[in-house]
Amino acid sequence: MRKVAIVGAGLTKFVRRALETPKELSFEATSTALDSCGLKLEDIDCVAHGSAPDAFDGIHQKGEYLADGCGGWNKPTMRVFVGGATGVHAIIHGWHHVASGMFDTCLVVCEEKMSSAMPHAQGFFLTIFDAITERALHPNLLWIFALEMNRYMSRYGYTKEDMALAAVNNKRNGQLHPSSQFKDEVTVEDVLNSEIMAYPVSRLDVSPVSDGAAAVVLAAEPVARRLTDKPVWIEGVGWTLDTAYWGTRDLYYPRYLDKAARMAYEMAGIREPAKQINIAEPYDPFDYKALHHMEGLQLSPRGKTVELLRDGHFARDGNLPMCPSGGLLGVGNPIAAAGTMKVAELFWQLRGEAGERQVPGNPRLGVAQAWGDLMQVSSVVVAGI
Amino acid sequence: MAIPERIHRNIDTRYWNPGAEYFPVKNRYTAGVAGQRFFEELKENGKLFGTKCSKCSVTFVPARLFCERCFARLEEWVDVGLEGVLYSFTHVYRTKSDEEKENPSIVGAVRIADGLLMHHLGECNEKDLYIGMPVKAELKPVGEREGKITDIAYFKPL
Ligand SMILES: [Zn+2]
Repeated sequence: MRKVAIVGAGLTKFVRRALETPKELSFEATSTALDSCGLKLEDIDCVAHGSAPDAFDGIHQKGEYLADGCGGWNKPTMRVFVGGATGVHAIIHGWHHVASGMFDTCLVVCEEKMSSAMPHAQGFFLTIFDAITERALHPNLLWIFALEMNRYMSRYGYTKEDMALAAVNNKRNGQLHPSSQFKDEVTVEDVLNSEIMAYPVSRLDVSPVSDGAAAVVLAAEPVARRLTDKPVWIEGVGWTLDTAYWGTRDLYYPRYLDKAARMAYEMAGIREPAKQINIAEPYDPFDYKALHHMEGLQLSPRGKTVELLRDGHFARDGNLPMCPSGGLLGVGNPIAAAGTMKVAELFWQLRGEAGERQVPGNPRLGVAQAWGDLMQVSSVVVAGI
Repeated sequence: MAIPERIHRNIDTRYWNPGAEYFPVKNRYTAGVAGQRFFEELKENGKLFGTKCSKCSVTFVPARLFCERCFARLEEWVDVGLEGVLYSFTHVYRTKSDEEKENPSIVGAVRIADGLLMHHLGECNEKDLYIGMPVKAELKPVGEREGKITDIAYFKPL
C-alpha cells in the first residue's frame, strides 16, 4: 500500500436553509478544496463521493445527481453511504483509491441538504426501524438516542448537567469556526433549560439541522510532497459494523467503535492512543455521544470521561482537545459533510492553519470519527504530520 | 420449502398496513443560485438564459452555476431566445399508473444552444412532427407566470 496524504480541504458555510442546490453546494466545497492546494479539476484522477440517504436531498440516486458538482464529470466516480458515518467513511473510500496505486489524486466530496425535508428530516428515519416489530409504534429516531443516553448516564451516575458540559465545550469551539451556523454563546443553563424532546434529550443536547458540503484532496506520496511542504498523512483507517439490531448493542459503550478504533491505531502504530493522540474529533450529533465516543476511541477510561471533561482535559488548551472544530454541535450537522469537516479540521490543526481555534502545542497526531447507518457503524481516520 | 404457497393476488399476502399517514415527509427544492436567476428572467422578462463556458465552448441551458467539464464558475449569461430544434419526440398513450390517457400527449426534447429541454408540444398535428423541426416556446401570459418550467406552456412548430 502507498502512503496517502491530505493536501487540500474546503467547506461551505453550514446553514439552516441554503439557496444553493446540492450540486452547487458540492461545487463550492470542491472548488475551495482544489484552490487550497493549487490544483485544477484536470489534475484529479478520481472522485470518492459520499452522501447519506437519498431521501435527505429528496433525489433518488443522489450520487449520480451530485457527480458533476463533485468534479466527477468524465472521471471514475464512486459513492459510499453508511448514514452518519459517511463523511469519515468517504475518506477511507478515497484512501483505498490512492493507496492501492490505482490513482495518484482523489477528490473526496460529501454533501447533505437537510432543509429540503418538510416538515422535518426525522420522518425519513421511520423506515430504518424494523417494519414488523417497531414501526407500528411510530418511532422517532430520538427514541433510540434517549434510551441510549439514559442508559449511559445511569451506568456511570452522570447527570444532565454533566452531558451539557460537552455541548458547551463543543459549541464554544464552534463559535470560532468560519463555517459555523451559530454565533451565540451557549451556557450549561441554556442546555438544561431548553425544551425536553425525549427525556433525557433536550433540544440543545442535539446538533442542528443543516445544509452544507465538505471536500478534501488526497494524493499519493510523491505527488503530495511536490504539492506541499506540509502533507497530512493518513496514518490509519478503521471501520466496523456491530449488530444490525440496535436493541442488542451495548447502549452504554460503543462497541461498534472499539474495534474500528483499534484497527486504525494498529495500522498507525499507536499503542497508547490516550497518550499519543493530540487532538480528537469524536462524532457528536448529541453531547453525550461526544463523551461516549471518546471512550470508544480509547481516549478516555470508561466512566471517567466527565471527570476529565470537568478538569479541562478536553478543552482547546487541555491535554487532549475534544472537537476543536466545534463538531456537529458547534458547527452544524449536514450529515455526510459534517464527518468530512472533522477530517478537514485535523488537516488544518495539524498544519497549524486553524486560525483563532488553533490548538496550542503543535499537535502532530489526530483522530476523526463518525457513526451511523442503523446506529451500528463507525469509521475512524488517524492523521498525522 | 421456502415458498409454501403460490399467491396470485397481492392482496392475499399477509401484510401490515401502516396507513396513509405513515410517511409524513415531503421534499421541497430550491432552484439554486443559477436556477433562481434563470426562473426570474423567465417569469419577469419572458426570456430563456443559458450560461456560457468560453473555455469549453459550451452554453448550458437552463443556466448553470459552473461548468461540469472544467469547473469554471460561469458568469457569462446569454439570452438564448425562445426558439429551438426538435431533437426527439414521443407520443404518450398511458399514464404513469398505467391507465389509458384520454388525450394522448406529445412530449419533445428541444435543443436550445447546447441544452436540451424536455417539454410538452402543442398547436401541432402529430403527423407533421419530424426530428430537426424548428420549434418555439409558447409562454404563459405575464400574470400567470410563477417562475416555474411550466411558465413555458409548450413548444410549438415555428
Ligand atoms: Zn468549461
